[in-house]
Amino acid sequence: MVAGDQSDPADVLILGGGPAGYVCALRAAQNGRAVTLVERARVGGVCLTEGCIPSKHLAVFAAAKSSAERFASAGMPALAGGRDLGAFQTRRSAAIDGLVKGVAGLLAAAGVNVVQGNAWFVGRTRVCVATGEESVRYLDFKDVVIATGSCAVPMPGLPFDAERVVEPSRALEWTSGPRTLLVAGDDYVSLELGVAFARLGSRVVIATRGDRLLPDFDADISQAAERGAGSAGVEVALARDAASIASGFERVIVSAGHAPNVGDLHLNAAGLSSATGPLVVDDHLRVERHVYAIGDVTGAPLLAHRAMAQGRVAGDILGGKAAAMDVHAVPRVVFAEPEFAAVGPSEADAREAGVEVVIGRFPLAALGRAVIESSTSGFAKLVFARESGVIVAAHLAGPRATELIAEMALAIEMGATSEDLALTMHAHPTFAESTTEAAEIALGIPIHVRAPKR
Amino acid sequence: MARFEFRLPDIGEGLAEAEVAKWLVSVGDRVSEDQPVVEMMTDKATVELPAPGAGLVVEQRAAEGDVIKTGAVLYVLETDGQIGVTAPAAPDTHAPPPAVAMSVASTGVLAPPAVRKLARELSVDLTLVKGSGPGGRISAEDVQRHATASAPASAPAAQTAVGGRHTRLRGVQKRMAETMALSARTIPHVTGFHEVDAAGFVELASHLRRAAEGGERRFPFDTLLVRAASLALKQHPIFNSSLDEGAGEIVTHDDINIGVATATREGLIVPVVKKADTLELEALASEVDRVTTAAREGKSVLVDLQGGTFTISNTGAWHGGFGTSLIRPPEVAIVAFGKVEERAVVRDGQVVARPIMPMSVTFDHRVIDGEQGLKFARTLRGLIEDPGELEP
Repeated sequence: MVAGDQSDPADVLILGGGPAGYVCALRAAQNGRAVTLVERARVGGVCLTEGCIPSKHLAVFAAAKSSAERFASAGMPALAGGRDLGAFQTRRSAAIDGLVKGVAGLLAAAGVNVVQGNAWFVGRTRVCVATGEESVRYLDFKDVVIATGSCAVPMPGLPFDAERVVEPSRALEWTSGPRTLLVAGDDYVSLELGVAFARLGSRVVIATRGDRLLPDFDADISQAAERGAGSAGVEVALARDAASIASGFERVIVSAGHAPNVGDLHLNAAGLSSATGPLVVDDHLRVERHVYAIGDVTGAPLLAHRAMAQGRVAGDILGGKAAAMDVHAVPRVVFAEPEFAAVGPSEADAREAGVEVVIGRFPLAALGRAVIESSTSGFAKLVFARESGVIVAAHLAGPRATELIAEMALAIEMGATSEDLALTMHAHPTFAESTTEAAEIALGIPIHVRAPKR
Repeated sequence: MARFEFRLPDIGEGLAEAEVAKWLVSVGDRVSEDQPVVEMMTDKATVELPAPGAGLVVEQRAAEGDVIKTGAVLYVLETDGQIGVTAPAAPDTHAPPPAVAMSVASTGVLAPPAVRKLARELSVDLTLVKGSGPGGRISAEDVQRHATASAPASAPAAQTAVGGRHTRLRGVQKRMAETMALSARTIPHVTGFHEVDAAGFVELASHLRRAAEGGERRFPFDTLLVRAASLALKQHPIFNSSLDEGAGEIVTHDDINIGVATATREGLIVPVVKKADTLELEALASEVDRVTTAAREGKSVLVDLQGGTFTISNTGAWHGGFGTSLIRPPEVAIVAFGKVEERAVVRDGQVVARPIMPMSVTFDHRVIDGEQGLKFARTLRGLIEDPGELEP
């Protein structure tokens, strides 16, 4: 059935139900707006169904195996562990189903009207939604929020074939690990997948375009990442053309970046630029007066927590609140060997921006907890502004780094100083002590390492 | 040929931004060195920015009404020669900020997220707030205090549903609103009214005016008032002081810098005649003329708007009578003069008509007491009624 030109009103219309879109929907509804959310697949988006959640599920699964193996010399019985991922995939699907259901339940409880389908603009205040093979609906909105996310792009010479050469999300669905795996990419996704499959028994090569892993992290983290990948059994081939060696591998994962999902939106119909790049927003997340954009569609950094923060802000702005995207600290986390986390600029970027810095770098080899867990190769590296002592950045490598970074983000938002961190008591024996020690090193008063000559 | 990016220079102490009031040239225009290119409006004044060298304006990076941060590129000049030596002091070009925010280090604003949110809600610019915490940390109280200090008490009422035209408070007017609210809130004002016989004074003023006619310079009426005030201040230095509440001190100023309240198209501006007591009458006249004319034409340079230690306000031209004035912090006194008019007064038992100038002396009672106030008024009155001393 084809509907006529009849349309339904939508006070706030959100295109996309990923972490940006659904959070925005919930917040806008909380603020009293009547929200309609259009999602083409399942609410939760890439993050929940094929990104963060399943990839971290795999990474944590593989890390658990590797944790047990660390205690082999202490008599821990060996795990049988082959490359069969059948049971894992069942568990993974169930976890995702549960979380998707949770989000759907929240949206329903908040009174958000969820419409399943693909949407595109047909006017300045109207979208058309294809809700089925032959059925469309029109929605007239007062405010629209574009939260359509991004999609993986292929690498020249290595087109996706949905089978052997795949984007990262596909690899998460494999029911068994490949014997040999090539990961083409240098980002955190490449590293996480490479390390996870290596831990689960695949022979893995990560081929990077440039001369380092994690090039957008601090150089020390890049170095630790390369060393850690090696210890997990990954061969890191720096500055290697993946396409030229791909033929020798059973499977190939390509992580070559993302492109914003804007092509199908017919933005010009809404009077917006139809350029294919990310949508440019101001700090009120506006593209235009009644058009907002949040999440990956607004470009880097493509992070679910940043998308959710944008969703909250946009939801508040839609509710008439004086909100703005005013985040000082954007944490980034990597679930590899070991875990890595960063907030704030790299040491080099901070220096380049003209900040006079003091570095406090504490090696985990001097930390009791790290010795217990046989994971002593990491560090806590904190960057402070020399004059004020205010924390500028934190770069962590080691177990639980992905959790510890939260404290560092809070420290940055609060404008904490090296003294504040040094004087905050941290429980013993935990990895969190490493940041206290790093702050003391910056102050020149360390306890568990020798003081640097002043 | 070279491209020169003209960046908004630091046009006054502590000014982080300014609004583009008016472009005086268009893209494609040729400009010569020192030719005014753009009028920038700050909280304190409107300032013309001259071209740093000759060239062709190839790009304007801001529209009229845009607020530009100090150091941001305002326009681009394709220059005929090398510009550099003559360029106004612009801050060093900073590298573009890295993708990851580095806000504390770059803005110097130290405020936790909840305080930043409060600042947004109260429309407070955190770069203007003085933090009371260690290292200048800004607290919620600091933001509240700043908000109350800069908003008139009736602000919330103005936002009610009564219809009308809304005009954004900005520039000179915003500055006036902030200064006057601060004055009314913090200073216990006391005003004394005095009828001054201005016969001799008016005669002297007319004489000097006529003498100046045909010459190069005008002789503004205000000159003699500035003169009288500066002589009175010399005898009563407490009127030329400031109260430093933080330090618990009264600071008596070495220089006598007299502000002359001037009505302008943009609003009230008070240009300052520096070291007024040291200037010969002719030099004083030309200085008064220079600063007030510049203010009226919106061409004041910032240095002429700063450093005042006392203010006079002559409302005569607008037929002003007696009135109270608000002291401009951190000054402690202000004198307003009204229009000289014939009044019936008693002289030697007879009712006679005399030209009377209404004079209102307003002082800060935290610093000056009633007796000192009356003594200062008596001195000033004496100088006007017997103006011989005004002319050397």
